[in-house]
Amino acid sequence: MDSFIQLANFSKIAPYGRLFWQGMAVTVLLSFFTVAIGFVLALLLATMRLSKVYPLGFLGTDREGRLRDGGVLLTLSRFNPLSFLATAYVELLRSTPVIVQVFIIYYGVFGALVTLPKFTIFGFVKFERFFPGVVALGMNSGAYLCEIIRSGIQSIDGGQTEAARSLGMTQGQNMRFIILPQAIKNILPAIANEFVVIIKESAITYTIGVQDIMSAVNAVRGATFIIIEPLLVATAIYFCLCFPTSKLIAYFERRMSRGDKR
Amino acid sequence: MATNDKLIEVTDLKKYYNKGAIKALDGITADFYRGDVAVIIGPSGSGKSTFLRSLNLMEEPTGGSILFDGVDITKKKVRDASGRMVRLDIDKHRQKMGMVFQHFNLFPHKTILENMTLAPIQVKKIDRAAAEEKAIALLRRVGLEYRASAYPIQLSGGQKQRVAIVRALMMEPEVMLFDEPTSALDPEMVGEVLDVMRELAREGMTMIVVTHEMGFAREVGNRVLFMADGRLLEENEPRELFDHPRHPRLQDFLSKVL
Repeated sequence: MDSFIQLANFSKIAPYGRLFWQGMAVTVLLSFFTVAIGFVLALLLATMRLSKVYPLGFLGTDREGRLRDGGVLLTLSRFNPLSFLATAYVELLRSTPVIVQVFIIYYGVFGALVTLPKFTIFGFVKFERFFPGVVALGMNSGAYLCEIIRSGIQSIDGGQTEAARSLGMTQGQNMRFIILPQAIKNILPAIANEFVVIIKESAITYTIGVQDIMSAVNAVRGATFIIIEPLLVATAIYFCLCFPTSKLIAYFERRMSRGDKR
Repeated sequence: MATNDKLIEVTDLKKYYNKGAIKALDGITADFYRGDVAVIIGPSGSGKSTFLRSLNLMEEPTGGSILFDGVDITKKKVRDASGRMVRLDIDKHRQKMGMVFQHFNLFPHKTILENMTLAPIQVKKIDRAAAEEKAIALLRRVGLEYRASAYPIQLSGGQKQRVAIVRALMMEPEVMLFDEPTSALDPEMVGEVLDVMRELAREGMTMIVVTHEMGFAREVGNRVLFMADGRLLEENEPRELFDHPRHPRLQDFLSKVL
């Protein structure tokens, strides 16, 4: 009688070990670039969402310079295009499945609009598949990270900004030296969670042919008709990637909490 | 110490909320001279904090003008020395106006020394060693030199406020704005903060102080301004104002607080 897991199968898939190593490397690279793109995008989006740019602001006051009582002009004067765009982007990306976004980027943007050069990096990373995957995942995580960063920035007491500005710091210096260091400390658990989610979610890119860990599982299954044992290997690899990541961030979290309660 | 050298000239300053339904400041006109220790008193909701916070544009006024060193800082654009219209650099002006807050607003993620040296290094581009030396000297003056490497959370309220004062002094401001500096303190810590402020006044620092400490107003101030309902109702030298209040609102207020 067959048992659920057969040790013999592990030795049968052992020759394909290299695929798993390469898959792991691809997953790590994919996650790394996704996080990088996502974080930069999120900072930009959060800045846009929190911006106070009202190009139609002049419509809100009457000829004597007093604020209007209401009406269309007052509503128009409160229109903030940067914030509107960022909010629209975030809501759109959060309300559609990742796989749809990945397909649209791969088949739509890079399939029809932009043609990517075909080459491989390190001999196993196919650029023309890897790049759209990174872009799609980065755009997706940017939306989530934006909301995390925005809430973090808004959680900092307004008195901090007042103190910084009263000392003559610009809004940029205030953000860089006062608000962001405190905000990032507060949102580190949420960011850690998002990083781990990215590592796991990157598995979806195997559907567009990125040769990550899941693709290794599929390749082994195709060659040997063994399915459970490769999946267990994949499980172990994903766990070994995600668990230390969250632990590492927990360590930084403790280190950054100097100056809190003691 | 008061001089005839006008530092701040406020004309018809207004701050409206809800389209004018709430008039936090309803046309304030007041001048402040170098060396002045002007104390602003008044019942809560009288607009005294709003007025103080308008002076360095922490609150954007709805109308009126504030001339600081002859420059109208409420304008977005000003004429420079060569007569061209340039964007007003409010950060430059804020450097010259130190501000001390009711809730201290120290930066919790920075040590006391870093709290003090951050703005001089980043804004004034003073080198770190010089900034730190200066910070230590100022800390010594307020008796907190030994706390330089502590974090704000480790300090008592009175210590935090003394640090906040010297942090503002690091920028070498021309005027210090105090927004109820002792209101959030335990009673036994009020004295140590007032002592520092008294010392500062003695050295000739121009100060504008919003406070409920009538003793301080009487003893240290050279002018007292009484505000109510967003208006400046009475202004006089302290003894005259406290002993012979003229406006009925002031008489009523003093009868409650003295």
